[in-house]
Amino acid sequence: MAEIPTLLRKVQRLIVAILLVYVALVSTHLGEFWPFSIYPMFSRGGHPWVRSLVRDVTHTPDSLLWRAQSEDTLPGDPFALGPEGISGNDLSNFVSKSKEWDRERIDGMRKLFGESLQSRSLMIYYVEGRLDQDRHISVKYRPFILMLPDSTALDKDLAERHRDMLP
Amino acid sequence: MIRRFFNTLFDFEHQETTGDVIFFRLFELCVIYWTLYHSWSWGFYIPKIGDVVLPLGIAEYMDISFMFDHNLAIVNATVITIASALAFFKRWRYGYLLVILGLHLQYVARYSLGEISHGSNVIGVVLVGMAIGVIAFKEGHLQRRFILGYSYFFVGFGYFISGISKLVATGITWPDGAHLWMWMAERTVDMFALTGQINHNFVQNIVSNSWLIATLALAFGMCGELLGWLMWNKKYRPYITTCLIMFHVGVLLVMKINFPSNLAMLVFLAYPWAALIDWFTTRYDGVLPAVPAAR
Repeated sequence: MAEIPTLLRKVQRLIVAILLVYVALVSTHLGEFWPFSIYPMFSRGGHPWVRSLVRDVTHTPDSLLWRAQSEDTLPGDPFALGPEGISGNDLSNFVSKSKEWDRERIDGMRKLFGESLQSRSLMIYYVEGRLDQDRHISVKYRPFILMLPDSTALDKDLAERHRDMLP
Repeated sequence: MIRRFFNTLFDFEHQETTGDVIFFRLFELCVIYWTLYHSWSWGFYIPKIGDVVLPLGIAEYMDISFMFDHNLAIVNATVITIASALAFFKRWRYGYLLVILGLHLQYVARYSLGEISHGSNVIGVVLVGMAIGVIAFKEGHLQRRFILGYSYFFVGFGYFISGISKLVATGITWPDGAHLWMWMAERTVDMFALTGQINHNFVQNIVSNSWLIATLALAFGMCGELLGWLMWNKKYRPYITTCLIMFHVGVLLVMKINFPSNLAMLVFLAYPWAALIDWFTTRYDGVLPAVPAAR
């Protein structure tokens, strides 16, 4: 076995080298290069957020489809992502981080739902949360993407407004 | 002073016991279990993905969409499994290196839809140490001391920079209870989307009705993270790691976000399990089967 001082010199060099690689990778990749990270989750307190929610609107009249809602007045039936094996975070990030909604992007979104779309119409809501001056939280549900078994419709104004908000 | 710091962290003077060896093998098994859990669960999910929204890691330099088809994610999970077994049974020195490279590929394919998940980072960071430790040291007991010292250092460092990220992004007002309410509202929408129902538990009701309790909860979490570096010191390690475990349990109760692999690593790293195993084996000496010394 090597002498303790030799071992300590070796581990010191190794730790410093790994630390340098860690810092170099996260500083050149916006804080993330798995498994290295600056762990920025929940670091921006009070910042507005965008999530998404899906409703089964197969039997909902067209007149009710494209109205902004609160959680108590959403039309249609709940469409739970969990039992369908779809990650809610994936869907929310798909909605909140997409700049362009071209054919490829829409096909990618539809692929996530797989066979669930064969006999259903699903509405993806753009859910926006904000904290106002009085520490009151407002949550708005805006209809965003309507997925029918054979076609997809998108609120282009909302997509454009969202794109302008993205960095 | 630096030499003393590394001496305390790696403790090469420590005479390795049977308890140390058993503890380390259990720690290694735990890392492998979570590695396989992540690689297979991601492997089954990746074929559902059809487009790259946010390229991460190596995917910034290559088109990762090739992983979505032809069951390549399953093939990768199989390679990771075989490499893990070879590394664990000491049949191939570069096994853990292949595991970490394969898991990186699996991660960037799985999280190409925009989410940046941190549920597997601690396992990944520890795996990097296991890959380097096995390559850099020949003797088993030196590998074990390096991997544990490395794990204390980088896990503690990770929590510390997470606290610093909060200070940089928001400042000293980060623990404002209203911020927690915002994240709770966000998670409520997530759970609504996932289950089709809105349900609040007892702890969420308490936190959402008291700004003071919400603020204290955030302040506790932030202080715990900022003091993560205390894991580097053997004397303070059980206390700070217990605080971090409590922080994760709090996040689970209030935000319904679970980090089981991080929690498992913290439980392993927090307490003097090796000494407990030695006490147990001494007490039941002759009753338990002998463990061969591994060096």
